[in-house]
Amino acid sequence: MTDGVPFLDRLPGARRYWYAGLAVFLIAWPLLFGNFWARIGVGALMWIGLAQSWNMIGGYAGYLDFGHGAYFGIGAFAAGIAMVQFGYPFLVGFALALVVSAAIAYLVAVPTLRLTGAYFAIATWAFAESMKQVALVTEITGGTFGLSLPRSPETFIGVPVPFQIGETFFYYAMLVLCLATLALTYYLFERHEFGYRVKALRDDQDAAESLGIDTTRVKRQVYVLSCMVAAVFGSVHAWYIVYIHPNDVLAAIITDRMVIMALLGGLGTLTGPVVGGLLVFLLERLSSVFLGSTTFYLPLIGILIMITVLFAPSGIIGILRGEVDRDEVRKNVKELGEKFDLL
Amino acid sequence: MTDDILRTTDLTKQFGALTANDEISLSVERGEIRGIIGPNGSGKTTFFNTVTGFYKPDGGSVHFDGEEVTGWEPHRLARRGIGRTFQIVSPFKNMTVRQNMLAVQTEDGRSREEKRDRAGEIMEFLEIDHIADNEARGMSGGQQKLLELGRVLMLDPELVMLDEPAAGVNPALESRIMDHIHELNDEGTTFVVIEHDMHVMKTLADSVSVFDSGSHIAQGDFEAVSQDDAVREAYLGGTTAEDDEVPI
Repeated sequence: MTDGVPFLDRLPGARRYWYAGLAVFLIAWPLLFGNFWARIGVGALMWIGLAQSWNMIGGYAGYLDFGHGAYFGIGAFAAGIAMVQFGYPFLVGFALALVVSAAIAYLVAVPTLRLTGAYFAIATWAFAESMKQVALVTEITGGTFGLSLPRSPETFIGVPVPFQIGETFFYYAMLVLCLATLALTYYLFERHEFGYRVKALRDDQDAAESLGIDTTRVKRQVYVLSCMVAAVFGSVHAWYIVYIHPNDVLAAIITDRMVIMALLGGLGTLTGPVVGGLLVFLLERLSSVFLGSTTFYLPLIGILIMITVLFAPSGIIGILRGEVDRDEVRKNVKELGEKFDLL
Repeated sequence: MTDDILRTTDLTKQFGALTANDEISLSVERGEIRGIIGPNGSGKTTFFNTVTGFYKPDGGSVHFDGEEVTGWEPHRLARRGIGRTFQIVSPFKNMTVRQNMLAVQTEDGRSREEKRDRAGEIMEFLEIDHIADNEARGMSGGQQKLLELGRVLMLDPELVMLDEPAAGVNPALESRIMDHIHELNDEGTTFVVIEHDMHVMKTLADSVSVFDSGSHIAQGDFEAVSQDDAVREAYLGGTTAEDDEVPI
């Protein structure tokens, strides 16, 4: 019975049970599998959320942001500074991450979103690198020493915290944030006119302008929103990981991963970053745990990206939806064969 | 006194040494269908782009509905009431026909529900409602032209500027598009249309402006313009035609 649960009542029969089952499974995950798998869950959920945040600007709006990881770091340091330097509880740091990331994103958006293509990518990459350098020489961020955050407050606003802030707590925190990010993406980009305008400017900016869409404003809105989402995950990650350093939370690899996850899964789709995020994270983590190699997954990812770009530009989701253009695939195979004298 | 909905005065646009529009002054009366003809490279599309804000003019002014709108951004002009289509049809291919319609942004205070209803009405009027939930990428060229017109109509524009609406469209669909233009014009919408097909222009336009080498060289009804010496010069390069009309 789903009476009284409007969301489930609106879903078609089979899908309703599938979603309900998935929800129960996700909620039960840390209780069923323990701390190790809860930790895997924390990482997977965080990367799905981060890939989705990049997908907002990179996939839906078509702006290849190669500095997006900077906002993950900005969120992490906003929370860290609030907690370490000022002694505020995490929620203040969380709020600060939202405000600071929005303000910085807006300031970055004004000049950089005038650029397109490679110029935008290079400008945002340069911004991210400069953020890392600033964090490395600034005292408030701990400079080259980084910041160590307190993990477990015993009280919150004078009230004793009735549970332990450990793996299970962070699993549920990431689950809520990840689901909220997916719900926001679904509503804004798949169901709301705002999303149609974003896709319109991606497909043809002049046509979008001619239809009353203020493309400059819409681009800024998407950019700021996507950066705030990345910062939110950064702030929770900082609290979870308890030690943050500019070389870690402001590393270029963070952006690279987001891009790869969204690209592999399917750009500009709701489910693409979920599939891509899960696949890349699990490949990395499980090859590290079970094969003892932290780099084994890299060539695998490289091969997967080549296959995706050549044969399925719409990603794994595109393949599952049957959107592969067979003529395009044949052409690419032929060109590749000719290039390497295979045909 | 005429009621001009669009008036350009000495409108000039240059690209380096090339003057694509050279002091073009023309007025479009409210409720008329104005055709714009001219050889390739005569500055017709540049004129469209300058009037609709895609190019900043190097001189002159544009007045719309009595208000100076020179240099306004395209989206602002669209919301003010100037709709336009492009020479190369440009539907948002990764969206459905309905989503293409709903992407249009207006400032008329309509609720989401009202906007959806309006989109439904327009799609029905243009006879594309049966493909409302199909992706635009699967539409034929003619259907894409209708969708483009439909999106423009979502703006409830007072003036619609169409860049070659009949190009690449089969005769049956071309006739449908022309019927829709006439019907909308009867309801009060003003049209400015660039078209190379002179048979279309002859039946569609109330009056015609002729462009050549960036200049506005003639204006009048189709028959009068086709007898104009400057127009003959532009189309025939100075030779004498034995035909009564411009060889089109």
